[in-house]
Amino acid sequence: MNNSAIRISIWIYLAIFFAYLLGPLVIMSVTAFNSSEFPRATPWECLTFEWFSALFQDERILNGIKNSIIIGFGTIVLSVSMGLAGALMLTQIWPKLRATYYTIIIAPILIPGVVLGISTLVFWDRVNRMLGLGADSFLSSGLFLTVIGQSTFIASYCMLVLVARLQRYEIVQTEAALDLGATHAQAFRKVMLPFMRPAIASAAVLAFLASFENYNTTTFTFGEYPTLTIELAQKVRYGITPAISALAFIIVVLTVFAAVANEANIKRKELAAAARRGETTVGQVSGGGIRLPRFLAGNSAAVLLVILCIGTITVVGTATAYSPDQCVADIREQKRLEADERIQELRRKRDEENIRKFKGVFDPEDIAPEEEAAPATGGNDSGFGGVFDPNALSGQEESEAPSTEGNDSGFGGVFDPNSLSSE
Amino acid sequence: MPGFLKEFFNRNGIGMGSLMLGLVLFWTIGLIILPQLSILDFSFRPNLPPPEYGGPKDVYTLENYRYLVFGPEGGGQDYNSVDLRVFFRTLVAAVCVTLFNLILCYPIAYYLGQNKGNHMRIFALMLIIPYWINEILRAFALRIIFGESGVLNTVLMGLGVFDTPFDFIRNDIALYAGLGYAYILLMIFPIYNVIESLDRNQIEAARDMGASWPMIHKRVVIPYAKPGISSGCTMVFMLSAGALAAPQILGGPSSLWFTQLIYQQFNDNNDWPQGAAYAIVLLAVCILFVLAVMRMFKVNMGDIGK
Repeated sequence: MNNSAIRISIWIYLAIFFAYLLGPLVIMSVTAFNSSEFPRATPWECLTFEWFSALFQDERILNGIKNSIIIGFGTIVLSVSMGLAGALMLTQIWPKLRATYYTIIIAPILIPGVVLGISTLVFWDRVNRMLGLGADSFLSSGLFLTVIGQSTFIASYCMLVLVARLQRYEIVQTEAALDLGATHAQAFRKVMLPFMRPAIASAAVLAFLASFENYNTTTFTFGEYPTLTIELAQKVRYGITPAISALAFIIVVLTVFAAVANEANIKRKELAAAARRGETTVGQVSGGGIRLPRFLAGNSAAVLLVILCIGTITVVGTATAYSPDQCVADIREQKRLEADERIQELRRKRDEENIRKFKGVFDPEDIAPEEEAAPATGGNDSGFGGVFDPNALSGQEESEAPSTEGNDSGFGGVFDPNSLSSE
Repeated sequence: MPGFLKEFFNRNGIGMGSLMLGLVLFWTIGLIILPQLSILDFSFRPNLPPPEYGGPKDVYTLENYRYLVFGPEGGGQDYNSVDLRVFFRTLVAAVCVTLFNLILCYPIAYYLGQNKGNHMRIFALMLIIPYWINEILRAFALRIIFGESGVLNTVLMGLGVFDTPFDFIRNDIALYAGLGYAYILLMIFPIYNVIESLDRNQIEAARDMGASWPMIHKRVVIPYAKPGISSGCTMVFMLSAGALAAPQILGGPSSLWFTQLIYQQFNDNNDWPQGAAYAIVLLAVCILFVLAVMRMFKVNMGDIGK
């Protein structure tokens, strides 16, 4: 009894937690498909794909993606090589220096990105001046500064990833290669590097992602080369549109896709290893039932991957065939009706006030504004004449009637809407 | 050539050794130490146009730091109350965000660390995926939710909690939720790593001896997980105190984060030395604060980052 209560509360907690974690992403993705000008999930207007085409026509976003990719690759090269050198050095350094050295190379993770960005900018500006170079030299260009600034702390991430793998490396292997006559470079390339490859791959992915999403450091160093994140931040700060949601949706889908593909790959290897050990065959894992293709057997992640692929193809297919024009027109019509109703409401209120005024003393001074107001109303009616539909007319008549009464039949016939429209 | 250097080159070869040494020196000295020293040096200089650098006016001064505490000269105020208030508000808010994250994440980390099974892989994926999404986009997502006509207001008004939309952004609730949201993984991961290595038998033993759940956590789990908790808290505190994107996007119009002041000094006022001084103050105070708290809870610096 007590045990199950605990279990239920754990699940409720997990549900709330993951709702907090994933809910915002889901809602943001949903807003990409709503035709509302402002990104919102409620009220739902129309299913639309126009924000995606708006996104792909945005020069600044495309340029930002290009810059981000260039900077991302620069950062991968620099920070993975520095991280690897740093990790190798950690295993060899004088023991007395090790703690200091470790503190220095781990510090950039804890230093606020803002400080790193400023220090990079200030330091290289000074180096640039000491070398007597102009303001347009390579050392003060946004690409160089951003790669340098980001690599300062991304190399620490890479170092942590690489050290974890390096701890399992047996230095005897390198020694054996050297004994067999390999040069140091050969031993590194043929023995150490293949062993480190998985860790290097994950460090590279980590470096690229960290570089791609970095804002705090880049915002001080980007210069003439705004990255995607910088462009996004500018857009989000000065007016938000659902086109940003569309971009976010694409990134979310790509991320989920990559994560699931990676998971499927790991699972496949595990299954293959299990089958090789003879503990179980791949066929048995699938547990009979419907025979799935070999690649999918017992691999839920792979099944999910295939479903995702099919889903994407379907969505893209509908997007090219689907046109929301009718729905958008309907919504626009509906909005206009609502606006009209509001106008009518306001007008009726004003007329009622006028009547109240006229029920008091009949003052010629009060008539003067009324005279001005009345033709204006008539003019408005003729101007908006075509806008009002038949439904709205009933309200209009109601509002028109008191105003005629207020005029006390003096102008009555003149301001009849019918007589105006007949002109 | 000193002995240890000779040994180093013997071990790695001249080519590989110098490449390695060069990269490490470039990283540690060229990217970490010298830029930090240069920003420190810069913060003690007056704001001069570039041609006057190194000229007679380029002398060391405490003016930039004085400005943060006492405000502009002859400003009529005893203290620079605007900037100081922003500074302390930032620190207090960062502490609150850290505590909120700790309370939120500890149960999750404990659950993930103590349970094994297939669904754990799915939970891990669900934790990591939001972390891969751009920081700006995460803030944007929260802005959609917390906006005046956002999902949360619609739901709460539908339930009849509020009559008029509640302004989450002006009241900074959106900002705190956004900062907490951004660093959840950084809190969970270190705690999870430590708790995963906790022997389940210790918990069973405590339970057999009649300890209640709160007691087990207080006496067994939390002392064991202390290094993880402290490195998670350190990271979340430093990152949220140094956050720039979330306050820019989710902050109310009247409330500033200290990093926004630094940003303004650099980009709007064009007063780099002043901005550098503010950055140094932020960095120094945050580090001192973290060290003080770690001493208070008796945690070693070496445990961080494991």
